[in-house]
Amino acid sequence: MKSSIQFSPKDMINASLVFFVVHSAQIGVGIHGFQRVVYQDAEKDAWISVLIAGLATHIVALCMIKTLEIYGTNDLYGIHQEVYGKWIGNFFNVIYILYCGIAFFSVLRNYIEVIQTWIFPGLATWFLSATLIIIIIYAFSGGLRVIVGVSFFSIMLALWIIPMLLFPLKYAYTEALYPMLEEDISAILKGAKSMAFTIIGFEIIQIIYPFVKDKENVKKNVHFSLLFTTVIYLIVMLVSLTYYSEGKLEKTIWATLTLFSFISFPFMERFEFVAICFWMLIILPNLCLYLWAAYRGAQRVIKISGTKFVWIFSLVVFIATMFIQSRTQINMINTQFGNIAFYIIFVYPIILLFIVMLKKKFTSKKEQSDEKV
Amino acid sequence: MKKFRIYFVLLFLVSILVGCTETNILDRVGLTTLVGYDVGTEERISTTAVVREINPEFQSNVEVITTENETSKGNRLKANRRLSKKITIGQMRVVLFGEEVAKGDLHFYIDSLLENPSVSNGLYLAVVEGDTSELLQHEYKNIDDIGQHIYRLMEQNIKNEHMISSTLHEIAHDYYMKGKDIAMPIIKREEEFVELTGVALFNGGKMVSALPVEDSFYLKIMRDSFKAGIFETILPKEDIPPALMKDTITEMPVAFDAIRSKRTLKLVDPATPEFDVQLKIKARLLEVHPNINTGDPKVIEGLESAVSKNLSKELTRIVAQSQSVQSDIFGFGDTYRSSVRNSELTKEKWHEMYKNMKINVKVKFEILRDGVFE
Repeated sequence: MKSSIQFSPKDMINASLVFFVVHSAQIGVGIHGFQRVVYQDAEKDAWISVLIAGLATHIVALCMIKTLEIYGTNDLYGIHQEVYGKWIGNFFNVIYILYCGIAFFSVLRNYIEVIQTWIFPGLATWFLSATLIIIIIYAFSGGLRVIVGVSFFSIMLALWIIPMLLFPLKYAYTEALYPMLEEDISAILKGAKSMAFTIIGFEIIQIIYPFVKDKENVKKNVHFSLLFTTVIYLIVMLVSLTYYSEGKLEKTIWATLTLFSFISFPFMERFEFVAICFWMLIILPNLCLYLWAAYRGAQRVIKISGTKFVWIFSLVVFIATMFIQSRTQINMINTQFGNIAFYIIFVYPIILLFIVMLKKKFTSKKEQSDEKV
Repeated sequence: MKKFRIYFVLLFLVSILVGCTETNILDRVGLTTLVGYDVGTEERISTTAVVREINPEFQSNVEVITTENETSKGNRLKANRRLSKKITIGQMRVVLFGEEVAKGDLHFYIDSLLENPSVSNGLYLAVVEGDTSELLQHEYKNIDDIGQHIYRLMEQNIKNEHMISSTLHEIAHDYYMKGKDIAMPIIKREEEFVELTGVALFNGGKMVSALPVEDSFYLKIMRDSFKAGIFETILPKEDIPPALMKDTITEMPVAFDAIRSKRTLKLVDPATPEFDVQLKIKARLLEVHPNINTGDPKVIEGLESAVSKNLSKELTRIVAQSQSVQSDIFGFGDTYRSSVRNSELTKEKWHEMYKNMKINVKVKFEILRDGVFE
């Protein structure tokens, strides 16, 4: 196949690292406040929505990997070009690049918003975005292996945050979860759809797949990683549902951070300040991976060097962060982006698999008939 | 290496720029430890703030400032104009409400406290009998820092489970719950002391009634399961089994130390609604009439049943009082919500139902041990 890519083993990564890549791409700023969004739809059955959303990621990931396996060593951009031809394929590629760009922007802007609300209300947006973008450019210039390394360390160094969820359990009322399944199924599904913004990120396997050395192990690692993410989201959701009362969860914007605000140690009065600052480490792989994914696409569509692309990309995002200032604008972008992401990540891969399989059947039949002649 | 030089320069610049945010140096800020809200005479809110100014050379200075304004932030501005140091609220530990404010509506205050990220969720809320400014402005002989004192007073009593807990988180939690109302401790100045004198009951955001401080034990065991807490009760004559009555005493005071109590609520009839309340209390006998032989198992048994009877009577009494003012501080409504499917409960609806609620209290009181001398 003409657009498949070959790399030297030096550029490739082990399949076990895919676990870290997928997980770190999924967990980002969404976890700060997804409880409220899901709660608005599914109320106290929100945890079921989380489970359904987690299940959906497994199904979609299965489709994605299936598609990739058919083409051997190719990424989504190459598959687009193969399936639709150059022009339409590149059109889809541009949409995907834009999607990565908006995802990057949304993670960055949301994180800045959190910093400005909780810690430094006076700090300018441009300053924070410039600081973060420079770090990301630095990581990006190191190449994929550095980005994967960032993912690995971001998870390893952030694991200690999980036990912190035990502190709020002191005030947990399990009665808040009953009666279970009181909401009708459509509300729960709607809640699961609202999870889209939070749970996306695993689409990175469509881009990173050609870089994996032992491809037969990808499937196992991806699913394990998705399971891990779902379990974390489920725990956070259950703790929040039992810790907050009905009305309070509906009004708390960053429920996870407010959960942390109760924790205090003799040497540290307010734990959430540390958590927020530490979160930079968690969103870093997020941003790096989206930037890298966008670059991989841009390279396919127009021949562009990494340095040039990263500067143009950063400048566009940097300017955009300055225009979006208020909470209402950010919220609007989050909801709109969540909706778009739902179709791009959860619906489209299934359609693509369908098309790819049809095409394969068609071409193999044609080849067979050619052979006969 | 040349390729990366530009990044190093940029990173270096960034690391310098990080220092450009607003700083709060301890010597230059006034730490607000306590804030009290009253109803103002001319403007809406009268605020009394206890501000502690840290001075590295001398003893720390505590200022009590009362200001009036339309909003609490406006009050902060006004207080700032009277101080040489910038006021910060990150160390705020207690928020007090004057009786009049509490009888108005606390919704506004709870929300504005929750909104501010620098306010900790763990601060205590309480109602003051009378005005907060009067309580805070008084020059106490033995109290240096009234803010710290009230905080320690509340913390000590809440941690030792003598008083219901009223952290901002718990109050906001109950306030936003459909089937529960909030309750806060009441404090009052008694000459040269500050004292906890009762528990305020709320209907929604309005204070509607108060229970005396002696009832806080019953309130606690009725609200939740808990550990430790001393209580004393007076067993009237009709509750005491005749076997125990060697003398012709008319009533018998006893004191217990509840080691563990467990509450289970069960909805038996959703229509009325009717609840079964089961309480299991394990306690230690602390004080009892000297004529009672605590070594005799029969006597202990008799005492247990007498206390059980007495407790259920007292508990029914305080629930009845809260019912008369429609303030469900025990959370019966939440049990109702969680056991009735599609109840579509709202606070108003529950208050209506709560009036006619019936409860059957069953207390299982068990004396585990007494002291070292029988």
